[in-house]
Amino acid sequence: MQMKKWFTSAFLFALLLLGLGELGARLFFAADISGRFDYGYSPDAGFDLRPDGTVHLFRAGGRRFHPQSFPRHRPPGTFRVFVIGDSVPRGPSFKGAYPYLLGTELQRHQIQAEAVNLALPGYGARRCQVVLRKALEFEPSLIILHVNDSNKYEDEREYRRSLEFKSWHPRNWPMKIFIFRRLYEAQVEKVFWRLVPDQIRLKFAANDPDAQLAANPDPQEVQARVRLARETTAENVALAREHHVPLLIISQCRLINDGPEAFHFEDHGLDALGRSLAGDHVYWLSMKEVFSHLPNARSYFSDSGHLKQSGHLLMAQALVQKILQDEQQLGLSALKREGKDGGG
Amino acid sequence: MDSARNLLEILGLPTNRVLLNIILPVGISFYTFQSLGYVIDVYRGQSPACSSLLTFATFDAFFPQMVAGPIERGRHLIPQLEQTKAFEPAYLHDGLRLILVGFFKKVFVADNCAILANYVFDPQTPLNGYWAVLGALAFAFQIYGDFSGYTDIARGSAKLFGIDLVVNFRFPYFARNPSDFWGRWHISLSTWFRDYLYIPLGGNRGSKWETVRNLGVTMLLAGLWHGASWIFVLWGAYHGALLILYRVVPALRSLGDEDASSHLRGALAMALMWLFTLVGWAIFRSPNLHQFGAWLMALGHWQTALALPWATSFIWLLIHAAPLIFLQILTWRYRDETNLGRLAWPVRGLIYAVMVMLIVSSTAQDTEFIYFQF
Repeated sequence: MQMKKWFTSAFLFALLLLGLGELGARLFFAADISGRFDYGYSPDAGFDLRPDGTVHLFRAGGRRFHPQSFPRHRPPGTFRVFVIGDSVPRGPSFKGAYPYLLGTELQRHQIQAEAVNLALPGYGARRCQVVLRKALEFEPSLIILHVNDSNKYEDEREYRRSLEFKSWHPRNWPMKIFIFRRLYEAQVEKVFWRLVPDQIRLKFAANDPDAQLAANPDPQEVQARVRLARETTAENVALAREHHVPLLIISQCRLINDGPEAFHFEDHGLDALGRSLAGDHVYWLSMKEVFSHLPNARSYFSDSGHLKQSGHLLMAQALVQKILQDEQQLGLSALKREGKDGGG
Repeated sequence: MDSARNLLEILGLPTNRVLLNIILPVGISFYTFQSLGYVIDVYRGQSPACSSLLTFATFDAFFPQMVAGPIERGRHLIPQLEQTKAFEPAYLHDGLRLILVGFFKKVFVADNCAILANYVFDPQTPLNGYWAVLGALAFAFQIYGDFSGYTDIARGSAKLFGIDLVVNFRFPYFARNPSDFWGRWHISLSTWFRDYLYIPLGGNRGSKWETVRNLGVTMLLAGLWHGASWIFVLWGAYHGALLILYRVVPALRSLGDEDASSHLRGALAMALMWLFTLVGWAIFRSPNLHQFGAWLMALGHWQTALALPWATSFIWLLIHAAPLIFLQILTWRYRDETNLGRLAWPVRGLIYAVMVMLIVSSTAQDTEFIYFQF
């Protein structure tokens, strides 16, 4: 009776609807929610270590890994390769991307290989580092770090979102509720971005970090982000060295159309970065070098940076060559022996 | 602030921004009009003088409505302030409901529509006819959501203390003629001008031309109340002209007759008035006369190549205006646009839940209430 006095039926019904919505989302879409608001900076980084000793990859931040699993400990004689990067190594499909093709190509060369695609769209150096730190726990034989320069902005945006999400400020409290946050992001990423032209959104709209960042193209800030991305790549290399894990850097290139028949490649200084970091168990492969000598190079690209499956195959073959070339340093020969011993 | 600075500049007096920030009270226009109304009422003997300084001070600077109204009359608010009331749960129910509706109008409707309006009325925006119309539509929903949203929040906040503030908006976009519009839009200001200016000038008791003069003067001053700028003079003059036109042109007068029983005629009258209102908002929103000229010129250019694609932005506007229109249709028969209390409780509960979702997930930038500047 007392309750009825203070709370109206409509209020309680609204509360019930919202509560049911949240509960339903958490009960029935638990997998979907899991890792949804990590923004790529979760220490788990989308790796789920199961009690049976296998590692399953799930969502990292708002992005999904290709569904894959592998044993926590590298099986004896197995050449375990982790490929970390953005949408380019992630590929048009799991089996159409160079990490998977690399595995099959290595096996064709009688190498017992396990290639895991740890690439996530939009991941720049900073979020790749989170993935790298986790990947180093799972005994890789080689880590391939695909270095691109177009994701520093998204790294920053997601970093700000993660801070905002973790903030104690009461204005962020409703955002801890899944249905609110999901609807907010659906509006930001689907409704908002698609309906309102960029020119309007960036100038007049949104308190989302994305719009804030884009609306403030301060050259110094942009430069600082470029610097940070490069420094983080150097840190990533140092991290792999620290763990005595060989690292292969792939420097991304962009295909620039100069006309119906003409084109050229640009590397935005990433080749120089790769070259400068190479040495002492760190290897480097230039994507520009892989494609630039091909007269029909354009046919391997789906846009200026992404590859078609044929391009991925070419990359996988170039990687195999590189790996075989440095077989000794990469410990492949030892692995082959280990395999023989381990396999009896 | 800007108006005060302009005035001081015209008078050749120093215009120190910091000093002005301190000496100019918040909501000066509302505060002044409320105080003036009280003084005139007491002078006329229509309202007793308040004997308690505390009550008077509370009336004069009652926090929910001091900044942007509704402009209260002493005879309505002071007796409520003098009355000792025990808290009742109904105050909480009504107050929170008003606040929720207000937040919905402001955060979901107004702030999201503002994105398009701000773009269209930016001097650097290349416009064509589509964008000009879209901008006026967006601003119409923005200003209505913004101002009536503020009023709802103010009324709701006052209601939590058991105080009823006057209704300031009553389905203004359903008006059939200009007089009807001013009876529904910013009611506390239009009745203020009616009672303290229009009627003392003679109202409609004299000849036709005296009525025309009185209407013109009242609306010009109502325009100027918004700020010392030519654009507000034009806006006031425009609405004055509409009121005069409806009074002197018999065809318009009969079309906009509120008692007309024909639904078709009623719809036509509403559509025509809505069109006139949109042009009025285009004047109001334009930063200056030149920009309004550019907006008018754009109505003559319908080439799509001149500006950005508009169709998806129109959908954006529709997404943010449709829930408000739906709410208005739902409450239309109760003659009170915030009176959700009479709907069945499951419907109300559903509306509350949806409103909360839309408010919390709204993506627009936080923007100040438009009427805070007046």
